[in-house]
Amino acid sequence: MIRRTAAGLALACALGGAAQAQDLKAEVIHWWTSGGESAAVRVFAEQYTKAGGTWVDSAIAGGANARTAAINRTVGGNPPTAMQFNTGKQFDDLVEADLLASIDQVAAEGKWKDIMPAAITAAVTRNGHVYAVPVNIHGQGWLFASNAALAKAGATMPKNWDELFVALDKLKAAGLVPLAFGDQKTWERGLFNATLAGRGGAAMFEGFWGRRDVALVKSPEFKAVAESFRRLRSYTDAGAPGRNWNDATTMVIQGKAGFQFMGDWAKGEFTAANQVAGKDYDCTVLGDKGTPYILGGDVFAFPKNKNAVAAQTLLAKTMLDPVTQIEFAKKKGSIPVRLDLDVSSLDACAQKATKWLADKSTQVPANELLSPPALTGAMEDVVSQYWNDTTVTTDAFVAKVVATLSAQY
Amino acid sequence: MSTEPRGKRPGRPSIGSGNEPSGRRPQKMTTGRFGLYAFLVITAAFFLTPLYVMLATSLKSMPEIREGNLLSWPIAPTVAAWVKAWSTACTGLNCTGLQVGFMNSVRILVPSVLLSISVGAVTGYTLSFWRPRGAEILFGALMMVAFVPYQVFIYPLVRIFSYAGLNNSLAGIVVVHTIFGLPTMTLIFRNHFAALPNELFRAARVDGAGFWRIFGQIMLPMAVPIIVVAMILQVTGIWNDFIFGLVFAGRENLPMTVQLNNIVNSTQGEREYNVDMAATMLTALVPLAVYFFSGRWFVRGIAAGAVKG
Amino acid sequence: MKSSHINAQIALLPAILIALVVYCGTTGWTIWISFTNSRMLPSSVMVGWRNYLSLIGNERWVVSVTNLFVFGALFISAALVLGFLLAAMIDRHVRAESLFRSVFLYPFSMSFIVTGLAWRWLLDPTLGIEKLAHAIGFSWFHFDWLVRPDRVIYTLVLAAVWHAAGLVMAILLAGLRGIDGEIWKAARVDGLPVWRTYISVILPMLTGSFATATLLLATSVVRLYDLSVAMTNGGPGVASEVPAKFVMDHLFERANVGLATAAASTMLVTIVAVAAPWLYYQQRGRRT
Repeated sequence: MIRRTAAGLALACALGGAAQAQDLKAEVIHWWTSGGESAAVRVFAEQYTKAGGTWVDSAIAGGANARTAAINRTVGGNPPTAMQFNTGKQFDDLVEADLLASIDQVAAEGKWKDIMPAAITAAVTRNGHVYAVPVNIHGQGWLFASNAALAKAGATMPKNWDELFVALDKLKAAGLVPLAFGDQKTWERGLFNATLAGRGGAAMFEGFWGRRDVALVKSPEFKAVAESFRRLRSYTDAGAPGRNWNDATTMVIQGKAGFQFMGDWAKGEFTAANQVAGKDYDCTVLGDKGTPYILGGDVFAFPKNKNAVAAQTLLAKTMLDPVTQIEFAKKKGSIPVRLDLDVSSLDACAQKATKWLADKSTQVPANELLSPPALTGAMEDVVSQYWNDTTVTTDAFVAKVVATLSAQY
Repeated sequence: MSTEPRGKRPGRPSIGSGNEPSGRRPQKMTTGRFGLYAFLVITAAFFLTPLYVMLATSLKSMPEIREGNLLSWPIAPTVAAWVKAWSTACTGLNCTGLQVGFMNSVRILVPSVLLSISVGAVTGYTLSFWRPRGAEILFGALMMVAFVPYQVFIYPLVRIFSYAGLNNSLAGIVVVHTIFGLPTMTLIFRNHFAALPNELFRAARVDGAGFWRIFGQIMLPMAVPIIVVAMILQVTGIWNDFIFGLVFAGRENLPMTVQLNNIVNSTQGEREYNVDMAATMLTALVPLAVYFFSGRWFVRGIAAGAVKG
Repeated sequence: MKSSHINAQIALLPAILIALVVYCGTTGWTIWISFTNSRMLPSSVMVGWRNYLSLIGNERWVVSVTNLFVFGALFISAALVLGFLLAAMIDRHVRAESLFRSVFLYPFSMSFIVTGLAWRWLLDPTLGIEKLAHAIGFSWFHFDWLVRPDRVIYTLVLAAVWHAAGLVMAILLAGLRGIDGEIWKAARVDGLPVWRTYISVILPMLTGSFATATLLLATSVVRLYDLSVAMTNGGPGVASEVPAKFVMDHLFERANVGLATAAASTMLVTIVAVAAPWLYYQQRGRRT
């Protein structure tokens, strides 16, 4: 009843030509709640306010929680103005159900095709229409190291996986936690992906998540990847299970732990703790077969809502504004989604990433871009069991992976 | 009835026959008595440990948490963490602490408790005395639902509520709590009324009293202990709810438990265990107070037939 | 006379509406959806038993169900035993009875989220009891069940028993107080030792109270969700996953509504199959 009245009112306003009735209040649901993330989202909020809008912040801890709330509200007819997703297939079903507004015009005006990597524009386009605004690019499989911890253990920054294990052993001998790890299913999958791309190479990574190539999984090379992955577990500490990723990063920041595999959002934590890349900590993407920069990121999608079109358009434009992009990237630890910007003010890690991004051979699309959430989730369970349950043999793991990849998702 | 137990004020009216210890009167401090007290004290220590650790940690400063041990009482107790948890802890950009959630929880709690108990009492009364056709089936259905995980209902309910325009509103969350409180509330009121002598009801009918008069003037006053039990159950149940609040309350009405989860899971730099623990305790304060102040009523209410099988 | 009966019907309207629309409506819908290929949003393409087949083959589901049985059996029996011991002891004229009662009952007032967080902190090997033991010199002491896949389910049982034993105590205490003092006298005259009296006389008289307590505990077993989320989030690996969490994760995060509703329907059917005869028996027993 109330909704019908509201709709009637909206219609009356539209007929009356009162276009200014559209207000620029934007409620944004996201899961950026850690120190670096909050600082980054503040950039969006401030820039949007400067542009004349009102930012209403809806932060919900945990990506799954945030997406659940956003999707429920959209399905329930009370959508937020914008909602965060990881770059990839997470919003496919919302597009199919016709719940998202396309922003073709904004994309055309901003010449997205010319200024963004093709993988990113493809990831926000469905059936020729653009449905989300990409806001950053994250590299997922970075290796971060505490220089203090490495010095203390007499270890050096590794250049490949064999060197990594040497360094890990040294750290262990020095009584430090060799590998800081937030042992939750998502990060188990993240670590598995880093190993898959690093040891197995970009081609194996794409074959695994993209083509679901079963023959590849049965190869001895994949078995070697699986065993390296499991070997990493012996370098984590007893407090790892259940720990949050940023608590693990804090261990590296404090020099209690040597390494952490994490996406470059971890840099946001280093920055928030006043640490400098190259000086206090080091970063690299380890690859035995070329650098596999795992290209992912965040996007904001806009649920259909006649009254929010103006706010949504302004949001999209603000988020892609050059100044916003650079400032946001600095705080977040990401790199700008636009390739036409001067990134010299970004840190050493971001400089590396920009270089890799310019070369197609040193990048691979992230897991989320290649597989739907149902498959990703099912695989997460398989990986998690292999990681945690030492009674699962590598052969049994391979068999389960094959079964999961062949199932209908 | 001369065996009024120690520790209780004499002269207090007891309800039913159910308030005196039925064991033999103790004589001296024998080995058996000693063992009994030892067991009770050790168990009590086990029960109190989590509460003590949370309280002690919440009163410590971060350096003391890092250095000291879990069970030591803070050297220099400070309420700074409590103040922070209440007024400035952050979720994303909102650094308003738990106070917003507290107010939201109160706004959800009051109407939900009143509505769910009213509906439950009326339903229980009707089912036990009036027994309209299909009453047994209805009661069976209600009891079945008591077993079903809420997760089964959530998704379709979101759709129904959005159709009815109730989604993400205070009214919506109140209705949800009423719906899912109904089985338990009906059960305890029905059990209570069913235990009353039917003559009472018949006499009232002969006197010409109608449906609502019998309910309001005869049955309700006799159900006071049960109402207390129902209040205790509903206040704590609704206050402690997490999943309905998360899904149905909407951004403006998120209850304290959801905020607690946000605060505990969103650290900014080093994890501040003292703030986390203070936030946890603040959230638990209302139900804790309810139990410590009315635990006696709870046992008495149960004795008066609230939850007999 | 007539109007009163109409009033009775009116009074039941909310309950009937809720039962029809919410309970029957949503369960029917859930079962129907479980036969479709729904992903993030419900679809109407029927796929037969496909979701059920993949559910049976899903290892996490199997682990969840096993966990539920292990947890349920241990939790219910431990809570009943501890609750009975506490009730019986408190009933023996102890000093500070109401203090003990409050101490044993207070955990029940805490939400599972709070319970889970508190026990997670205590049992975390780098933070809680183990760290404490190491700090005071017992470096041999290890209690890492929270992070061991083969033991983690027992830590959930521990936390849940802590949470619910007080409720069992309250119910049984009420039952004990309802027992006639003459029975104790008779037992004493017969020369029965106290422990024998409890086992062979008192326990059988408390059957009703035990049934009530078991019923309440059982409902919290099938609904077990928040505790697992707050304490371990199902980990390490899938070692402490439970069915309700399986449903929730697949409903939302995994965007696999078909599989989630198949799991929910399976739970529903199992529960109804177990609970219906029991409820029927209870009702029959009441009437005669």
